[in-house]
Amino acid sequence: MSASLDKGVRVLKEVIDAPIASYFSSCVHCGLCAEACLFYTETGDPKYTPIHKLEPMRRLYEQEYTLIGRLKKVLGLSKPVTDAELGEWQELVYNSCTLCGRCSLVCPVGNDIVYMVRKFREGMAVSGHAPEGIVEATRRTVSTGSPMGVTMHAVKAQMKHVEEETGISIPLDVEGVEYMALLSSMEIINFPEYLSAIARIMKHAGKTWTLCSTGFEATNSGIQIGVSDLAKTIVSRIVEGAERLKAKTVISPECGHAYTALRWEGPNLIGRPFTFKVQHIVEVLDELRTQGLLKTEGFETDRLTFHDPCQLARRGGVIQPQRNLINMVAKNFVEMPDAGKMNWCCGGGGGVTAIERAEALRIEAFKKKKSQLEAVKPDRLVTACAVCRTTLEEGLEHYQMNIPVVGLTEIIAEHLPEQGA
Amino acid sequence: MQGPLIEILARQGITRRTFMKYCATLASLMALPPSAGRAMAEAMAAAGVATKRPSVIWLPFQECTGCTESITRSHSPTLESLIFDVVSLDYQETLMAAAGHQAEEALHNAMKAGGYLLIVDGSIPLGLDGAYSCIAGRSNLELLKEAASGAAAIVAMGSCAAFGGLPHAKPNPTGAVSVSDVVKDKPIVNIPGCPPIPVVITGVLAHFLTFGSLPELDKHGRPKAFYGETIHDRCYRRPFYDQGKFAKTFDDEGARNGWCLFELGCKGPVTYNACATVKWNGGTSWPVESGHGCLGCSEPDFWDAGGFYKALSTPANPLKMASAAVAAGAVAGVAVSFANRGKKRAAASAHETTTLADLEK
Repeated sequence: MSASLDKGVRVLKEVIDAPIASYFSSCVHCGLCAEACLFYTETGDPKYTPIHKLEPMRRLYEQEYTLIGRLKKVLGLSKPVTDAELGEWQELVYNSCTLCGRCSLVCPVGNDIVYMVRKFREGMAVSGHAPEGIVEATRRTVSTGSPMGVTMHAVKAQMKHVEEETGISIPLDVEGVEYMALLSSMEIINFPEYLSAIARIMKHAGKTWTLCSTGFEATNSGIQIGVSDLAKTIVSRIVEGAERLKAKTVISPECGHAYTALRWEGPNLIGRPFTFKVQHIVEVLDELRTQGLLKTEGFETDRLTFHDPCQLARRGGVIQPQRNLINMVAKNFVEMPDAGKMNWCCGGGGGVTAIERAEALRIEAFKKKKSQLEAVKPDRLVTACAVCRTTLEEGLEHYQMNIPVVGLTEIIAEHLPEQGA
Repeated sequence: MQGPLIEILARQGITRRTFMKYCATLASLMALPPSAGRAMAEAMAAAGVATKRPSVIWLPFQECTGCTESITRSHSPTLESLIFDVVSLDYQETLMAAAGHQAEEALHNAMKAGGYLLIVDGSIPLGLDGAYSCIAGRSNLELLKEAASGAAAIVAMGSCAAFGGLPHAKPNPTGAVSVSDVVKDKPIVNIPGCPPIPVVITGVLAHFLTFGSLPELDKHGRPKAFYGETIHDRCYRRPFYDQGKFAKTFDDEGARNGWCLFELGCKGPVTYNACATVKWNGGTSWPVESGHGCLGCSEPDFWDAGGFYKALSTPANPLKMASAAVAAGAVAGVAVSFANRGKKRAAASAHETTTLADLEK
């Protein structure tokens, strides 16, 4: 079709902005980012050094936007970026980067490396070097509405199922409500307990809420593949839905990148502020807790630990709310080493789970999570991201570790007072 | 402490306390432990009592007698000269009363006994079989070899004996060399300087008397106690150097204000000697204090180390072109920035909305 190197180079020239220029010229080549990346620490292969993953973009920046680089280009002293090179870099830009942002945090000169990887993906995608799995997921999201091909029919089937199970009706397309809840396909297909939990918690807290038939899917493959135009199309569905229903707050579900896509990238993608507020479900629950609208009874007595989703904790800065919530219902909560801001990624974010060829590497990188878990030996693992949850379950199964993974929202829902009544 | 030395000193109006203070000062100058001061005093007093005082032979070769001047006249009758009351200076051409055959006889008697300390000042000419400098018809080379064979240790006094000095300067017509170029099998201590500081000479002698050995030496065979730091590091004008305040000529405001003489050719930064701390003429002054830069006379080949008034290095003046550089940088920066903006705008205006079809080739 129409992807080409020329297009990739043009897009890269367009996305290289002042922050990227200052990052590239500030890099002191210290290599500290390598130690922050689980793909490097678990394989020991220096090609996984985060800043190295940007090498073609750095060269392009130098050749196009610096005086010395231009002179070198004129004199034929610099190596032009080739299609084959970008093809070679696919593994580094997609397969071995979950956009977890740990490298950005350790950089001594403050380079936001993950910001640059995200921008680099713009050029990679339009030059035809995005991995097949992510391209397909994006195609399904744009054409059918969800990366897993989930349609409103499937959502309605789940709604019916939950209504029968809980006896609570699930509102759809109700105008003027306080909260508009989103779902991730993973939750619709694999973890329907999330929808059930939301219904029970909202009823308990006495809040009005709704699902939206034109904007139910929270995930955004456009962000993962790195095509802002498509990401804008996808996020616009939510924005239009929320504005049509005049929702006060849109709840991003237990999904990491959906939160980033909607809360941080969203307004920039559509070019204006939202008329509604965006909160992650964990933030909403903690807010209800502080308002005294969320009460629980009983405690989990087994040993629990929490896996911080990167996009929520590190990129989003939401660290304390989930702990407040767990402590409401857990007697034996332990923290993993590096928990919170510096938590290690599950290895599946940023679209990596969608890439079939990255599976072996992802399992290798999971050894980091394994060692974190071995340090605290929990009975169960709690998290607040469906992609983390799936990746964790796969990794735990591969390494034959018997640690069930549960979502935070459902644990809270299980301890609602009316549960026993 | 009692004894003839103390009595001699008392006759010269020097109290026992002054003598002890001198020895303590000497010990501290040489960075010896405090107890060394008393040990020195006792050793020197004992040497004065002994029937046979340690023998010292002083041989002058191709020299100007400045070293002798330094240790004797310029400091006499200060305490430094007293040390010669505790050694038997058996041969010193300038100082000895004897002359001719009597003098040569004294030398031979002293050499026969052996175990003496040999002090040499002046370089040894090797050209024309040593004919450039002879005493009693014998060349300096021959005399040195003979005297060195029975010496316990040799002190090469002054830059000529230590490094060849002025006679060794290019083109070195006499083929002058240092003591250590000739004698290889004896402990040699170099006391360079043109001339050396008197207290350095007496300090080395006191060390030899007290401990029977030579003090710790640096790579040029100089006692570390006196040659361990540069003139520059101990110079009282060093703060001006650090502040970048330099005299540009010998009669400018900087010179009058006593600023650093680096730009007037001071060799202090590369010269190891004790002038800045010990000073000259009984602690009166020293070259830099009198307004002239250090010549570097205690360093090998100082005479050939470039002009005395040529700065060791001329510091660049980066600020001279500062405004031009800022202007050029600003122009270049603005030009590059406009070019970059243009390029980015062109890329942005060429933006075609990416569709699903654009994700594959």
